[in-house]
Amino acid sequence: MSAGTPPLSNPPPKPQARALNCPQCGAAIILRSLGHAETVVCASCHSILDAKDPNLQILQKFDAIVGEVPPLIRLGTRGKLRGVDYEVIGFQRRSIKVEGIRYDWHEYVLFNPYKPTRYLTEYNGHWNDISVCKELPVTQFASANYLGEIYKHFQTADANTNFVLGEFPWQVRVDEHATVNEYVKPPRVLSSEKTANEVTWSIGEYMYGADIWKSFNLPGSAPQAVGVYENQPSPVSENVKGIWAAFLAFAVLLFFLMAGFDFISNKGTVFDSSYHLNVGEPKGEASFVTDVFNLEGRTSNVEVVTTANVDNSWIYLNYALINQDTEQAWDFGREVSYYHGYDSDGSWTEGGQKNSVVIPSVPAGHYYLRIEPEVDPKHPPITYSVEVKRDVPVLGFFGIAFFALLLPAIAITWRSLSFERMRWAESDHPPIKIGNSDE
Amino acid sequence: MFRKLYLAYGMLVLGGTGFAQYHGWSLDRISQLKNVPKSVRDNPGSYRSVYGFYHHYTGGK
Repeated sequence: MSAGTPPLSNPPPKPQARALNCPQCGAAIILRSLGHAETVVCASCHSILDAKDPNLQILQKFDAIVGEVPPLIRLGTRGKLRGVDYEVIGFQRRSIKVEGIRYDWHEYVLFNPYKPTRYLTEYNGHWNDISVCKELPVTQFASANYLGEIYKHFQTADANTNFVLGEFPWQVRVDEHATVNEYVKPPRVLSSEKTANEVTWSIGEYMYGADIWKSFNLPGSAPQAVGVYENQPSPVSENVKGIWAAFLAFAVLLFFLMAGFDFISNKGTVFDSSYHLNVGEPKGEASFVTDVFNLEGRTSNVEVVTTANVDNSWIYLNYALINQDTEQAWDFGREVSYYHGYDSDGSWTEGGQKNSVVIPSVPAGHYYLRIEPEVDPKHPPITYSVEVKRDVPVLGFFGIAFFALLLPAIAITWRSLSFERMRWAESDHPPIKIGNSDE
Repeated sequence: MFRKLYLAYGMLVLGGTGFAQYHGWSLDRISQLKNVPKSVRDNPGSYRSVYGFYHHYTGGK
């Protein structure tokens, strides 16, 4: 415009979809891609038309299956994906056959006049945001290198196009075949499609259905995802290493805690005495009380160790640790038994000549033990000793703590391995190979 | 999220273990009695143990 030209009073009109009529059946066809599409499909008679031809020359006509499931995202739906506005202009159903079983998935063509075309794929509720690769990946053995990242080969299959609808930026045909190679590095998937004339590489990133529904403002909720998809991110895998690192740190802390308590624990013997029991002696009151001993310090535990020279016999002692001043008592019984012999398996032993019990949370004070021994009446005289220790470390708690720390790490690792096993079970490299039926 | 939960859980386990050890807890089951008369010291036979009639193991293999 020159300096003297007045400004336009009305801005240029916004781009609008162009409406034409199908040359086959006369139905209205809406072109949304503003001349970018190569082919357009008539929704009424399923004729594939040349979108570049002003007369919409018929390229192919296919019979759609009666009762065909419609696209989850209707053509013409607009939404924002990764901050960019797109309109859904095309839809196709494709399939592969693996061991005689057909697997279908859907692809949606997303159009923005100022951005390269994007695609959304959907399989059993798993979505991927696909775009064409900027560089050519380098393949080697069972992997591919793209932009410095290594992708593992997942599957090679022959894909067939079964149903098309809307507009496509290439010459789409029903029943066209392509050899598809897929490589994964969750959450991304690298895919090559090889036809007779060309090889196309595309890169995809996993998306959740809920995010798709939110991006395109779709009614209701997305279909539930079934199973584990090839590039579906694992909810736990990225945590496994961190959790094992945390477990090791906790194990070291636990060790130092145990060592610390062992160092500061008193473990002092406050009472130690031996007794002789002769069942042949005239019977009177079997029970007796020990001398009073002092338990000092904070409320802590008390260990009572009973040692007896039993040999293929037993001795049972009813104990009561009684506070002389508070009339509080801790009542318990301990058996010391030791048996040994020889049979067809060799020699055996059972039990031991020592028994230990830890009495919890005993306050400081003056205490004595009431002891009531019992033995086999036919037993020869027995000698036994009773030792009382104050404030001893209980290693069992540390053992329980160790396993309490270990179990979640094992559970999360197991869950991660199960997830990956499910992922790769669908690939050309399953973790467990199933034998042939004729083997 | 799992890592944070595990860290919190681990601190809880370590704290609980230290608490149990400091307060003298035990894994053994002991019966605690109150109001034991002081006369037991002079007459031990007057005290009746909770385990007095406990059936205990008497044989070998």
